[in-house]
Amino acid sequence: MKNKIDLKELWNKQETTTPDAKELFDKIKRLKRNNLYALIATNVALLLTCAFIGFVWYYFQPEMITTKIGIVLAIMAMVLYLFAYNRMIPLLVHVGYDMNNNQCLQQLLKLKEKQLFLQTTILNIYCILLSVGLFLYLIEYALRMELIWAIVSYSVTFLLIVVVWFDFRLRKIKKQQAKINGLIDKLEVLGRQLTTNE
Amino acid sequence: MTFEEIYKTYWRKVFRLCMGYVNDHDWAKDIAQETFLTIWQQLSKFRNESSIGTWVFRIATNHCLRQIEKNKRMPKANMPTEIAEVPQTDDSSKIEFLYKCISELPETDRIIISLELEDLKQSEIANIVGISEANVRVRIHRIKEKLTRKFNTYEE
Repeated sequence: MKNKIDLKELWNKQETTTPDAKELFDKIKRLKRNNLYALIATNVALLLTCAFIGFVWYYFQPEMITTKIGIVLAIMAMVLYLFAYNRMIPLLVHVGYDMNNNQCLQQLLKLKEKQLFLQTTILNIYCILLSVGLFLYLIEYALRMELIWAIVSYSVTFLLIVVVWFDFRLRKIKKQQAKINGLIDKLEVLGRQLTTNE
Repeated sequence: MTFEEIYKTYWRKVFRLCMGYVNDHDWAKDIAQETFLTIWQQLSKFRNESSIGTWVFRIATNHCLRQIEKNKRMPKANMPTEIAEVPQTDDSSKIEFLYKCISELPETDRIIISLELEDLKQSEIANIVGISEANVRVRIHRIKEKLTRKFNTYEE
């Protein structure tokens, strides 16, 4: 029993002072302010993008329905992307702290899998919407061009879409997958630590 | 209990728990602060289903475990710098050694032994970690044996 007493005694001798709660409240204030700034920045970015697209709509007065659909799709892509990354995913990440460790780890594992699925799906939808939007948007202007320029415009756009689809998208998905899969592996190790002695 | 009361009662305990987990003074302070941030945010949702202590330790231990999400800082078993500045007595080197040994254990064992050393009942530890009381008892016994062995080698 002597060892038990010794360990507890030593444990309690760890030098600690309770810092002034003010430091913590400063941190809370800072966090709130940063959240507010992030919210404002997101909305400003969104509004500016929509204003710019609205200006294009107003200034160039598109006549064909395909152009209008294209613009709407592009706006939808951006709104969806911003919404997912600023609202939905953080909501998924910050939960479950008052569960027991076992439940918390299991929930985190489920959330990470969901997050991986969501990020991949949203990125795919974003790329599809943007590509289709751009493709439709260009039709009206391509029709007004000489054939050769129309072909050049569409080739360049097509190339851009291919790059986005196969390079940017795949690279981003791979990076996210590697990060989350690494975390899932570590979570499984922790989960096993809790179950092996049962 | 108001937030201020919880803060005064539990800061030291939560800090020691985090210190046992990471053995790094600044990092432990960060985790303790994150814990109290969550407590501050969630206090209105606390429904007295468990004791306030169990609730606080659940949040603290989950914050410790979720350090794996922060890839940049990997747990290390170095001597804490803060203590190194304190004049070395026989006790302070033993304290350093104890925290170093604990931080080298598997993650969940670090939590279990830290809670035990904080004098929590085994039923409460079982409730925080989410394993059976019998399992808690067996694991505490094993961890203490391991620590005692290390201390015996250290003192030789």
